[in-house]
Amino acid sequence: MSNTLRPYLNAVRSTLTAAMCLENFASQIVEKHNVPEVEAGSTKEVLLNPLVVSRNENEQVLIESSINSVRVSIRIKQADDIERILAHKFTRFLMMRAESFVILRRVPIKGYDISFLVTNFHTEQMFKHKLVDFIIEFMEEVDKEISEMKLSINARARIVAESYLSQFV
Amino acid sequence: MILLEPNSFVLEETLLARFNSEKHEVVDITLVDFDNVVYRVQTPGEQRNLLNLSVEMKYYGEVVQYGAEDILRREYGEYLVAAASPQYQITLQFNLDQLPADRAGLAKHVSLLKRNVLSSSFVRAFEYWESQQEGAGPLMATHYRDNEAIYVQAQQDRVTVIFSTLFKEEVDRVLGRVFLQEFVDARRQASIQNAPQVQYSSREPPLEIRHLPGLRQDESVGYVSFVLFPRHFSHPEAREKTISQIQLFRDYLHYHIKCAKAYMHSRMRTRVQEFLKVINRAKPERTTAVSEKRTATGRYFRPQFRQPTSPQPTDGEW
Repeated sequence: MSNTLRPYLNAVRSTLTAAMCLENFASQIVEKHNVPEVEAGSTKEVLLNPLVVSRNENEQVLIESSINSVRVSIRIKQADDIERILAHKFTRFLMMRAESFVILRRVPIKGYDISFLVTNFHTEQMFKHKLVDFIIEFMEEVDKEISEMKLSINARARIVAESYLSQFV
Repeated sequence: MILLEPNSFVLEETLLARFNSEKHEVVDITLVDFDNVVYRVQTPGEQRNLLNLSVEMKYYGEVVQYGAEDILRREYGEYLVAAASPQYQITLQFNLDQLPADRAGLAKHVSLLKRNVLSSSFVRAFEYWESQQEGAGPLMATHYRDNEAIYVQAQQDRVTVIFSTLFKEEVDRVLGRVFLQEFVDARRQASIQNAPQVQYSSREPPLEIRHLPGLRQDESVGYVSFVLFPRHFSHPEAREKTISQIQLFRDYLHYHIKCAKAYMHSRMRTRVQEFLKVINRAKPERTTAVSEKRTATGRYFRPQFRQPTSPQPTDGEW
């Protein structure tokens, strides 16, 4: 792991752990409703300050917390066209399966590639530290996966080109 | 399975099955090949001992100018029917009772029909080179697909083949650029120094065809030019091989782009499975079987939180 990735992930991990201090909170606007306040945004006093952990301008994590929910949005590194397409495909692939990923949001926040929404119900029924682990592991793996896929495409292209051209020799 | 075959395997197999069957059955089969070529294998009317093969080729009108008819006559003269069936451009007729001994060879030979027809402009360019005329030969275009064409032009010392190819969607375009860049770079290797020179440009058509009207000039179009040197076509054997290979370039490129996409897709699938395992670790194990719990009245007790069991979404189109 590179020198800058470790502190970046550590910062995200501690911020997330702190932010996941959630409690049940019924809506103050509509009776008998219980909505993630960070999504509704209708009760200003329960929203906390959003926080950006940034490795560089292309890799950032936005953590918006509130009394009963945390929204984590990740911007994935996209250096060129291929990485952009791979990142887009991969996040789309995941978000189509958002049902099975429980905390995954179906649509990312504007300006980010993928978003998670953790509510107090999730933290009550699942292990909090494991949820944080999941998000951190996701961030690690996504970069690795994208660069591996990119390498494999380049390797494939080279083999394809060489085997075609070597026919003419 | 890296390289593609110049013949149509399914056509060969279908014909061979008909040639070898003892009982002549009535058939009507439609087959397709690369470049929107459609074959129809059909028994005409009541004559069960006959078999018609009709070929639909959108670009036949063009290749006729380059001598495709001569090639057809030379290769399939005895089977060629003068008047092709309506909507088809070429019709061959086989008499199943009077087939030559080498049926497999005949089927193989017929399955190369598309390749032979498409080779006409190449053959003509090579002949032009042989005649050692001054200056460049005529530019011969074959619009083998909608909006895509092969241009062949003979020069005094070389033959240039230019493909225009269309990438329908953005992913294809990006992947196509990676692949084509490798084609350009591959020649630097010592082992394939003798391969034809490859040039690639997107948007900008190469100089040879820049004067032609109606060329698309946007992001989706790629132009690939191959410069064939005399060593690729001076020897008759090498010439036939070169023609077979170079025709398939477009199919080969697109086939491998699709393969790369399929591989990416299956890889993402595996990765998603792994992520699912990680998130499931966050769920505490519920050892007591849910269905066992009952309330005092004998009803089943169900916990509030249930894992969603909705089916997997479809992957959509890409």
